[in-house]
Amino acid sequence: MFSKTIFKQTLKSNWKLWAVFTGIMAVMSALVIAVFDRKMISSMMNMVKNMPGIADIIGDRMDSMTSVLGLLGQSFYSLQGIILGLIFVIMTANSLVASQVDKGSMAYLLSTPIKRSKVVRTQALYLISSVLCMFLIVTSVGLVTVQVAHHGLWAEEYTADVKAAAQVLDLSDETVAGDLTLILADDDAVTSGAEARGIDKDVYTTYLGLKMAENAGVEQPGIPADQMEKIQASFMAGITAAAEVLDVDASDLATDMGKIKNSDAAMTAAVDASGLPKELFVTIVNGQLANDELTLDQGIEFSVKDYLLLNLGAFLLLFALSSISFLFSCVFNLSKNSLMLGAGIPIAFFLFQIMSQVGSSLEDFKYVSLNTLFAPGDITGGGTFWPQFAVLAALGVVLYTVGVEVFKEKDLPL
Amino acid sequence: MSVLQIEHLTKDYGSGRGVFDVSFEVNQGEVFGFLGPNGAGKTTTIRHIMGFSRPQHGTTSVNGLDSWKDHYIIHKDVGYLPGEIALPEALTGTQFISMMAELRHITDMTHTDYLIEKFALEPSGGLKRMSLGMKRTLAIVTAFMHDPQILVLDEPTSGLDPMMQDIFIGFLNEEKARGKTILLSSHIFSEVDATCDRIAIIKDGRLVSTFVADDLRHNESKTFKIEFASKEDFERFRTEVEYPQKLNVISVKRHRNQARVLIDDKDVNSLIAILSDYHLNFFTEIKFTLEDYFMKFYDENQSVEEGVENAAH
Ligand SMILES: Nc1ncnc2c1ncn2[C@@H]1O[C@H](COP(=O)(O)OP(=O)(O)OP(=O)(O)O)[C@@H](O)[C@H]1O
Ligand SMILES: [Mg+2]
Repeated sequence: MFSKTIFKQTLKSNWKLWAVFTGIMAVMSALVIAVFDRKMISSMMNMVKNMPGIADIIGDRMDSMTSVLGLLGQSFYSLQGIILGLIFVIMTANSLVASQVDKGSMAYLLSTPIKRSKVVRTQALYLISSVLCMFLIVTSVGLVTVQVAHHGLWAEEYTADVKAAAQVLDLSDETVAGDLTLILADDDAVTSGAEARGIDKDVYTTYLGLKMAENAGVEQPGIPADQMEKIQASFMAGITAAAEVLDVDASDLATDMGKIKNSDAAMTAAVDASGLPKELFVTIVNGQLANDELTLDQGIEFSVKDYLLLNLGAFLLLFALSSISFLFSCVFNLSKNSLMLGAGIPIAFFLFQIMSQVGSSLEDFKYVSLNTLFAPGDITGGGTFWPQFAVLAALGVVLYTVGVEVFKEKDLPL
Repeated sequence: MSVLQIEHLTKDYGSGRGVFDVSFEVNQGEVFGFLGPNGAGKTTTIRHIMGFSRPQHGTTSVNGLDSWKDHYIIHKDVGYLPGEIALPEALTGTQFISMMAELRHITDMTHTDYLIEKFALEPSGGLKRMSLGMKRTLAIVTAFMHDPQILVLDEPTSGLDPMMQDIFIGFLNEEKARGKTILLSSHIFSEVDATCDRIAIIKDGRLVSTFVADDLRHNESKTFKIEFASKEDFERFRTEVEYPQKLNVISVKRHRNQARVLIDDKDVNSLIAILSDYHLNFFTEIKFTLEDYFMKFYDENQSVEEGVENAAH
């Protein structure tokens, strides 16, 4: 079925290219994971929301970016990872068959007692397994990064404040995490916990309250909607006033309200402008800040299953794309012809996919792109994706088979 | 017994290119020269013999097996040297040799080592940096490492220096003595002259002549050029000898008073007897070599028909 000798030689000739691309891809995906910072992303989102043009373009994708997987899906698995993998596949597919026929070095393999079909099947095997290994490595590096940078795999890690408080209380992390009232009961513990989180004590106590409620699965007592709206309007008026005093953008201040608390003048101006009692105003600010902390805790939530599915999908997409490049590499005797279609078609698919996302007028382009079948958003967002995966896999198998058959039957200028 | 058999092979690449109805066979132990100008169809024919191309009409077979269907079986017994050398660049010569040995299931490397020594090959370097001649010799070693019974060689000495060419021709003669069957495509007359038993000439995709090399080497008739001292002698020669067909006069140049005659070696005395009656300026043999013969076919201006006609005498 396959020739070990030819596989070895192919490996020797091609492993460097593979190593370079795999290395770059692994580092890129690891970087996206490592720099993921929920607070930063949300403030970026708010900024973007205020720019109507860009907001239109990015659309619903914004919300999905607020988790590691969402961000990966929108960046690495939509752009860098796919295009790099594609370039690798295009170059390798061409060098495995068409370029060797073009240069004539295939003559040596084919003048030995080995069937043509065995030669070409071995080359196909190399291409498929190199893409597979590429994603196995990217996946492994990604998982390690998730653990190292965010403790996202083994979540029994305790947050920094719990650890600090436990030290003060001289109790185990587990005990303290299990009963946060222990921290609330001890002023020193609250101080060091707040310090560990980099927030003030009031916010921290509010946070602890919210956290305990969340752990217990209790809904926050709701404020009647009409009253809520009034308070919110007054609160925003306060923020605007404070922003003027601090000479910053109101929207910036809204995502970083710690600044108001740090400036007495801003606080006074804000309370005056809002017309709310100072206590209430401070409570709302604290509540907002505590909420930010809570979402920070959620940011490291990471579904290993979704991550693996994301990688499986990317592999299947590249498997299907590689089958296109491989087919044309088998069909043509000249590298340039093989590249024209073997590179041209997959790159066109990629560009159509990008165009279809840019604006609704170009949306129909997604129907002519294979890349549409791998939608990271559907995997992380609970959409259907198995049928698409099956289509990609089937297409790949069919085109590889056709490539092998064509090569077996064609004339070779050797 | 014919080892290589080409029957009515046709491959039309359009606009008159390709090969058309080519038939010949190479017998066991024979060295067969395959000659023709550039683009005549030699490489195309060899590709069919190796099973790289499928014939449009006709068949090619090796040891009775169809080249296309049983390509991997016939390759066991064939050593193929392609016209253009392209080796996998990522390897060193040594790696390439051991890969080819593995592909050919060779475990005993004595013959390979013998070839390496014979061609003074230094295979340890990377293939990318080898000179053309080194690549050639490496290709030669790997093509014959399994000591095949049949050698198919497409311009094997191009790119070799004169000394390596001599070594290679020596090698071919050794192989011939060992009973190998060899198909040799070449543009180098001396090489063909030194090795071939039979020769076929292909032009514009058609076989124009197949002959036994020795017939040409020891041609038993010779052409003589005669220049008469005067117009009178010349005219008298024509009326007395040419018109009564006492001698085979193949051409005359009237303004020079010259005539060419073709004479069997056994009739040479009667030629001298006849000529003793005339005043001559000179009398010379026109040497006819393999090269002259081939040149008729290579010459672009000469049509195939003319070439065949000239070849006939
Ligand atoms: N795959 C092909 N497609 C189209 N035309 C071809 C193909 N292969 C060969 N030809 C044409 O067929 C003719 C014969 O080519 P071939 O290579 O057999 O010549 P050759 O006798 O080996 O010449 P040379 O002495 O230059 O090596 C040429 O005109 C060539 O252009
Ligand atoms: Mg040729």
